[in-house]
Amino acid sequence: MNKKNNTKFTIIRAIAAMAIALLVAFLLVFLSSEGATLGERFNASIAAMREMLISPLFKKSGKFSTKNFSDVLAGTIPIMFTGLATCIMFAANQFNLGAEGGIMLGAFVTAVVAIYVPIPGPLLMIVAVLCGALAVAVIMLIPAVLKAKLGVSEMVNSLMLNYVIMYFLNFLMNSYLADTSKGITQTYPFRENAQIPQMIENGSRLSWGFVVGIIMVILCWFFMYRTRWGYGIRMTGINQPFVMYSGMNVALIVILAQVLGGFLAGMGGGIEMLGRYNVYNWSALPGYGWTGITVAILAGNNPIYVPFAAFFMSYLTRGCTLMSTNANVPSQLISIIQAVIFIFFAAQQFLAGYRQKLVVKSAQEELAAKAAAGERSDR
Amino acid sequence: MNIFTTDFFFSIIRIATPILLATLAAVVGEKGGVSNIGLEGIMMMSALFGSLTAYWTKSWFIGLLIAMLVGLLEALLMGFFAFKLKTDIILVGTAVNMIGSGGTIFLVKVITNATMDQSMTSTTSLITKALQIPSVNIPLIKDIPVLGKIISGHSILTYLAFLLVWLTIVLLYKTPLGLNIRSVGENPNAASSVGVSVAKVRYITIGIGGILAGLGGAYMSMYYAMGWSLDMVAGRGFIALAAQSMGGGEPVGSMLAALVFGFAQALGIKVSATGVDSNLVAPIPYIVTIISLVIFAINQRRKDQKRHAASALN
Repeated sequence: MNKKNNTKFTIIRAIAAMAIALLVAFLLVFLSSEGATLGERFNASIAAMREMLISPLFKKSGKFSTKNFSDVLAGTIPIMFTGLATCIMFAANQFNLGAEGGIMLGAFVTAVVAIYVPIPGPLLMIVAVLCGALAVAVIMLIPAVLKAKLGVSEMVNSLMLNYVIMYFLNFLMNSYLADTSKGITQTYPFRENAQIPQMIENGSRLSWGFVVGIIMVILCWFFMYRTRWGYGIRMTGINQPFVMYSGMNVALIVILAQVLGGFLAGMGGGIEMLGRYNVYNWSALPGYGWTGITVAILAGNNPIYVPFAAFFMSYLTRGCTLMSTNANVPSQLISIIQAVIFIFFAAQQFLAGYRQKLVVKSAQEELAAKAAAGERSDR
Repeated sequence: MNIFTTDFFFSIIRIATPILLATLAAVVGEKGGVSNIGLEGIMMMSALFGSLTAYWTKSWFIGLLIAMLVGLLEALLMGFFAFKLKTDIILVGTAVNMIGSGGTIFLVKVITNATMDQSMTSTTSLITKALQIPSVNIPLIKDIPVLGKIISGHSILTYLAFLLVWLTIVLLYKTPLGLNIRSVGENPNAASSVGVSVAKVRYITIGIGGILAGLGGAYMSMYYAMGWSLDMVAGRGFIALAAQSMGGGEPVGSMLAALVFGFAQALGIKVSATGVDSNLVAPIPYIVTIISLVIFAINQRRKDQKRHAASALN
């Protein structure tokens, strides 16, 4: 199959997946809509869907809204990082689902450094985020090393770690770090110089962390597609025995992919914390890790597509939130839409991989036939 | 303070039941080569619809049946995506878990809003004592001094769960279907070459898992917690996967593993009753999971080495 047809096929499949998701969303909105007659409910659902799809960009009057747009961009920051993290881990065929706990731990460690460590100037910001990222990288050694050395499922271990991290952080908050003068469980405020400055001062909390995210996307792409280790990671995902027999250290690659994933997730947590909040007050897993998995699937595990996938997910999430405030539809609709898009995209991707194999196979057969013909004519 | 009272051992069985049911689902699944990580999500969905149906029909039994049906349907849908559309089954499971978490809260809000004119975020107010899955005292056994207090007086689902361990063994090792499930799990090509419909067997495998997980969900919302609430299954579906691999994929071993998790959790509850922060106690089952997986893997490795050494000498 030539490249043009291939692209066309991919785009059509993507649009079909989204269309199905929107159809499911519409049915659910219809079920939750209110109205005396079916027609009324139908109109109400159409209005709600329009709200969901259009309001993240436009005002009620139909004018483009910078505020809404920057809200969506701000929403991409954490899921860009968890998406990148998941990309790298999934590319190596490591189904590590620890980005969820990772982003929470990263946020927490960064917050603690930003509160208690007196470092002057913007250096504090950088040190705090790096500490968060490193902490998660170290934690990810647990599922990574256990997988590489003992063959224990990284998936189960990373899931278990998510819970352990959440409870342990809550324990630390309750027992040591909470600002007891406040009614809710939160830390003392971060130092002034730890706050990541905002790109636009309009309350969207779109910090310069967004730019850091884009830089990380480019770095990750370069790492995955232009370096030896990135190649090793991708090859491990495609054909692990090949990597082993060609003399690369598979165990090290398996560990590296997960540690890098942990680093990115932790970094995302830190940047989200210092860019959006001025105290740490998370008491439950934030859900960014799961959205990150969707982002990675939509991006086909290629870092360069992560910002677009993250934007798409952030857009839909924002749309659902706005819809829930203006129409009587619970915002959790997003998790169903997300799951439906996700599952169809993943299905399509496998088919694409399968087709690729068929193409390779037929090419090989062609080559073999040519070689056989060549031998005969030599005789 | 003596924590090892009869109450304590009673609570181990009570806590282990949903894990055991989900573990059996994982055991059957893995035997058939279907790694279902969506058990968590299936349990959430079944727990929700089980409790709602029980409330509507005023019958715990119909609630239980609906919970099983929902589990079955969700599992078959997973099968459709995994086997027909060739989505990676781990991703299908992840999607099911997403729906199990955020999707259920959406559904409960919408459904309660439509049927009761008020949007609820849990069904804990709907499940009364009368709708709870009944518990039974076993005659004769309940009169045995210590043992009676431990193993009598559980919900009927608990006894069903232990009965199901035996039924799973019978299914897997004594029936033609079980043979097919195992052969498809070990080598689908070989199975298909002797005329076994691999797709059909896989659907049956994942369907059985769905029903078992549905039972686990029903137990959670209609006996253990009396009503559905957000994320109430709290990782039990995942712990079941760990129990399955700790038990070496065999029903009895996995049952023992499930009981170990029940023990860990029961111990946690006991310890937190003494005033320790519950956040320090709640992660115990998860930590136990990781540690026990490691121990199991090391053991397995040692066994393999021994076997290799023995075969090298022959």
